[in-house]
Amino acid sequence: MAPWNLQSKMAGSRRLRYGFSVACVAIAMGLSLVFRHYRVRDIAPPFNLAIAVATWYGGVGPSVLALVLSAACFDYFFSPPIYSFSISSEDLPSFFLFTAWALLIASFAGARRRIEDDLSNARDRLQVEVEQRKQQEDEIRKLNQRLANRAAELESTNKELESFAYSVSHDLRAPLRHVVGYSELLQKHSSSFDDKGNRYIETILEAAKRMGVLIDDLLAFSRIGRTETKKTRVNLGDLLKEVVTEIQQETAGREIGWKISALPVCYGDCPMLRVVLVNLVSNAVKFTRMRTRAEIEIGFGDGDNDDLEVFVRDNGAGFDMQYANKLFGVFQRLHRTEEYEGTGIGLATVQRIIHRHGGKVRAQGAVDQGATFYFSLPKAHGPEARAASAI
Amino acid sequence: MKNELGRILIVEDDPRDVELTLMALEDYKLANQVVVTRDGQEALDYLYCRGQFHTRSDGNPAVVMLDLKLPKVDGLEVLNQVRSDEHLKMIPVVVLTSSHEEKDMMRSYKLGVNAYVVKPVDFHEFVNAVKELGVFWAVINEPPPGSIGKR
Repeated sequence: MAPWNLQSKMAGSRRLRYGFSVACVAIAMGLSLVFRHYRVRDIAPPFNLAIAVATWYGGVGPSVLALVLSAACFDYFFSPPIYSFSISSEDLPSFFLFTAWALLIASFAGARRRIEDDLSNARDRLQVEVEQRKQQEDEIRKLNQRLANRAAELESTNKELESFAYSVSHDLRAPLRHVVGYSELLQKHSSSFDDKGNRYIETILEAAKRMGVLIDDLLAFSRIGRTETKKTRVNLGDLLKEVVTEIQQETAGREIGWKISALPVCYGDCPMLRVVLVNLVSNAVKFTRMRTRAEIEIGFGDGDNDDLEVFVRDNGAGFDMQYANKLFGVFQRLHRTEEYEGTGIGLATVQRIIHRHGGKVRAQGAVDQGATFYFSLPKAHGPEARAASAI
Repeated sequence: MKNELGRILIVEDDPRDVELTLMALEDYKLANQVVVTRDGQEALDYLYCRGQFHTRSDGNPAVVMLDLKLPKVDGLEVLNQVRSDEHLKMIPVVVLTSSHEEKDMMRSYKLGVNAYVVKPVDFHEFVNAVKELGVFWAVINEPPPGSIGKR
């Protein structure tokens, strides 16, 4: 610690450094005189030591001063002819050797200085960087705080929505059940009504039942937004097979040409993806009803960003592309209820599920020329997925 | 309450649902074995023979048909109370509700409900569901000891 303190103390004062250098040479001079007194032949080491010490603690300037002073003293007092600055030719090599040695030490010291300066610069830069980092950290902390607030807000909104759905579920169904119930009881007294009266009751019943279906669909739709997705590897091919087999039971008597590619494995929530497939396939079946032979094709291709894009194509009623953006809206229908039944929530459900998986949906079609619905999903990676898609 | 010797305790706040339920039970001549309470507090009063029911003869109903959304004390609280009482905990309890919510279903089952039935919107289905529940729990099922006997 002590030499370091000395060094740091001297770094501040130029006079101290040069003084130190002169003192070092003076001590070396004294030592050399003592050496000579005891007839020691080589008197260079004390001077070299003095230069080294002056260089180490004083820096480049004092080092040069020590070098010049040492050379002068050496020449004047010790190299023959003594007490003159001239040098005899036989002492020239040893004088040069001394000078070279001293220069080497001085250059080492210079290098050390430079490295030291670089180090202190680096330290300053680091200091600045640390401060910047600290500021950035503060910024991040603030952002995090804001994010946490926002999450809390969202959570409370979500809770509100949940309680809204809950009261819809509870309170909206009861009056509906009563409308249906009492209408049916009224129907039992149908003898007191004429045909018109009976038709009115029939209409009330139908409307109420339809509202029941709408409420159920809407609740199911909102549940998709509220429940967590549990993502696993899903073999879409197997899932599709199940779905198609199920739907085929309801299409007996119709001629449908199925063209199904072996779908790969993807990553997603299995029950939700099942809902997607059921909706798209049953839509294809529904909207090809007027064809004598329906053609339904299900296949896949590569989507953007390493996604997998599955499509369901039919040769059914199709749609006008200018309404394509309305297709996926809640309760949006492009056909009249008399033509095709349904609440208009199927594709909205599909879109919501796919969005929750980080995928996209799109549709292509033309009136009376069929439609194709696409949805993209992240691919499943790893050996399992490869093995499954090889089958 | 006219008939205090109920084998079926209905806890239902909506008078129209009560009427429709009774109508359904009437088909199997079970309506005269029914006691109707209109909120959770009243249901507990009946079960504990207190308040307006302090004069009723002892014995637990063979089944409680419980709505969940009730004034004062709600269905889940009634269920919780029944299941934590030594004398009442064996009573079969059927939740009969409008709620499709998984949350309600989970909580009911966790509290040890015997059945969870969602009231169908369709009237026929509703009537059938109530009838079947009535017949099963009040006629086919052997109620635990301490229940009011068949007549």
